[in-house]
Amino acid sequence: MTERILEVLQRRNLWRLVIAAGAIALISYPLLSDDLYYQNMIIISLLFAIGATGLNVIMGYGGYISLGQSAFIGLGAYTVGIGATKVGGDPFVWVPVAGVAAALFAAFLGVIAMRTRGFSFVIITIAALFILQIVAINWDSLTNGTSGITLPLPRWDISIQNWPFYYTLVGLLGASLLLSWWIRRTKIGTGLLAIREDEDKAATIGIDTPVYKIIGFVASAVFLGMAGGVYGYYLSFIDPSGMFDIVISVQIILAVVLGGRGTLWGPVLGAAIIEPLNEVANQNFGGGNSRLLIFGGLLALTILLLPKGIIPSGRELLEGRTRRGRAALVGVRLGPRAALNETPAPVPAPSGRTLLEVDGLEKRFEGVHAVRACSFAVEEGTITGLIGPNGSGKTTVFNLVGGTMRADAGEVRFDDRRIDRLPPWRRAYAGLGRTFQITRIFPGMTVLENVVAPLRSFSWRQLRAGAVSGEETATASGLLEFVGMQEYGDQPAAELSFGQRKLVELAQVLMLDPKLILLDEPAGGINPTLIARIAEIVRELNDRGKTFLIVEHNMPLVLGLCDPVLVLARGSCISSGGPSEIQRDPRVLDAYLGEDFELEQPVGAP
Amino acid sequence: MTEFIQATAFGLLIGGVYALFASGLTLIFGVMKVINIAHGALLILGAFLTFTLWDELGIDPLAAILITTPAMFAFGYLLYLTMIRPLRGAPLSSTVLLTFGLALVFEAAMGLIWGNESRSARPSYFDQSFDVAGIVLPKAQVYACAVAILVLSLLWIFLTRTWAGRAIRAASANTEGASLVGVNIAGVSALTFAVGVATVGAAGSMVSVLYPFLPGSHYIWIARVLSIIVLGGLGSLKGAVVGAALLGLAEVYTQTYISASWATAVPYLLIFIVLFVRPQGLMGTRLREDVAV
Repeated sequence: MTERILEVLQRRNLWRLVIAAGAIALISYPLLSDDLYYQNMIIISLLFAIGATGLNVIMGYGGYISLGQSAFIGLGAYTVGIGATKVGGDPFVWVPVAGVAAALFAAFLGVIAMRTRGFSFVIITIAALFILQIVAINWDSLTNGTSGITLPLPRWDISIQNWPFYYTLVGLLGASLLLSWWIRRTKIGTGLLAIREDEDKAATIGIDTPVYKIIGFVASAVFLGMAGGVYGYYLSFIDPSGMFDIVISVQIILAVVLGGRGTLWGPVLGAAIIEPLNEVANQNFGGGNSRLLIFGGLLALTILLLPKGIIPSGRELLEGRTRRGRAALVGVRLGPRAALNETPAPVPAPSGRTLLEVDGLEKRFEGVHAVRACSFAVEEGTITGLIGPNGSGKTTVFNLVGGTMRADAGEVRFDDRRIDRLPPWRRAYAGLGRTFQITRIFPGMTVLENVVAPLRSFSWRQLRAGAVSGEETATASGLLEFVGMQEYGDQPAAELSFGQRKLVELAQVLMLDPKLILLDEPAGGINPTLIARIAEIVRELNDRGKTFLIVEHNMPLVLGLCDPVLVLARGSCISSGGPSEIQRDPRVLDAYLGEDFELEQPVGAP
Repeated sequence: MTEFIQATAFGLLIGGVYALFASGLTLIFGVMKVINIAHGALLILGAFLTFTLWDELGIDPLAAILITTPAMFAFGYLLYLTMIRPLRGAPLSSTVLLTFGLALVFEAAMGLIWGNESRSARPSYFDQSFDVAGIVLPKAQVYACAVAILVLSLLWIFLTRTWAGRAIRAASANTEGASLVGVNIAGVSALTFAVGVATVGAAGSMVSVLYPFLPGSHYIWIARVLSIIVLGGLGSLKGAVVGAALLGLAEVYTQTYISASWATAVPYLLIFIVLFVRPQGLMGTRLREDVAV
């Protein structure tokens, strides 16, 4: 064990040593050598590295691909070019302005694309790149069209060569890395990871997804815009095809994918590999087609053969070696449950106050009328059951109440507020937590990271908070102990069994400290011991004042745990009452069994 | 008024070709949830093949469809087996990046084979037109649109009247369900991809007459297909037809009433405007994935 720790420590130190050596070499290179050819190569690779480090924030952490990153290079370059030639001043003065322009443009694109999920973002980023190019071509009076803008040559002493360009880019790369590192260890980072892993789920645990995605995209653009300005000045010639170059976009993407999406140093490593290839393509094969062939082909091959990239794959290889023979934690028994170490809340007996009220809810999926005129209420302090035959609309009702789907008509009131127009995270802030039928925890995070991911409210200050603060860790560990999963805190969530995931998801929802917890089939597909444990947890939480609404097919569990029980059939609530009333209701028997069914013994009797 | 009718006629004629072009992408997306960014490059490939057949052998570019379509079908099948199939089950982002890489490879390959200068096939009817009550209808456009409608109708018949077509539609509506009732999803995916590439090959033959093209032209075509799916929704043939007609009209109106140099910006502007005003897409068919569970 101690050997292993030593080994890890040494490896980590070695890694730091490599990075420190690289940084020193990078900074001292121009002082030691006056070879302009290599200086130029490093300048271009710095541009790629800044672009890739930025892109990694939205693509590596957030999972959203931008195919148009060179739009920010062009925007930055034109800001500097137009500023310096039309307004005046040293081009370097305009570099920060280029950063602001890129950030604003990214925010604008983000506002358009980030309200939706899926492909809109990819489409918008391609469109942004080309539309800027068209504007640069057509807006002659400002951009000088296809003839481009020629910047005055630098006026500094020839003996310092390209140092100002070189060191500005080194500084920008440092700033990019710092930003990327900082984001990864704050709430923004965990939020983006959660979005990458499962965006709908992220929304239900209080993550305001558009804000996170827009921040991520702005972060990916700001330093690239500044670097683009420096790059334009360095070339001293800015034209639409050179600046809004889709091949540079590909090279930036390739650097991220090749080095390793989601790692801090992968994009830098990727950039360092790509620039020499770029040089070979330009010098030995005449650029043009060979550039396309090399980088397009390399992108396709990387996706096919090394989809995780060099750093993650290398790390897996190393870990596979050192960890050989050491069993994972899977199969360890559940730990004993601990009591929640909170001061017990006053025990509210069912107060009679309505906590959740659903009124005339409607939802259609093309031809299927899944939920129709559905109305029911959940009283505070109860464990309310929601049962119904398969396809009766239970999960759809959950999705409508939780906000994962929008209702076509009808109202949902929670805690005396109307919530049916609110996005899922606002409903989570209001005190609504839910689990999913097929559990949805974030497989790429550890169990503890999963449990600390939920947010009870939104504030800008909170975004800057560390991803896992001491206080949160204590609460999360307490919750894991409460469900009996304390042993598993550091395990990757992907390695858990289905039943264990249910417990983790429950702990995750409890982190929101919700007033009402929606459980979608908590006993579905797990063993009887675990079912008993979940029932025990629900009762204990209910004693502490949590209200539950539970969809479940396991009748003994529902009838033993829930009171009242609501019955859903064909999308509407047809009956409600205590477990014994429900069992006698002829409408319920009809809905479940059909009217020609001869009853031999009462439903639910042992 | 005549100018308006003229522009509308042009817009609808070109819209027919756009519809055929977009149908392949939307078909492929429907079944395997792959956005094929190389779609534009495959169109240009079809155009180059047609150009060579016309230039070397004197085959009429529109008749060349009979050769390009099966050739592109075979190419699509091969492409699926070697590139797309290994990625099944991978996240959407992987196929976007893969096909983006392939688009550049195709662009480079076409540049190496055919060179980077602008080409266009010029059959005898290239500069002739029909005159209908003062409205000029270029013969090439009319023929191309007619052939596009014919091919689209054949595609429609294939999808609705044959077992293979019904399997494709079933897989498109519900992949898992289709596999449960005995549809061979792997086979259907290969078939769909090949059919999608074949239709874009046919569209390429028409484009070879209608527009000058070079390997780098595929970017504007990928922009067009993306704006068509933004307008019409993704995954349905009808949406593709409506989106294509709208794009054709928007482009021609811009050309007529504003300026030709800004007409190239139309597909991009439409993308921005539609996503800004109605993020869920114009036709109600969503661009975003909604949750199933």
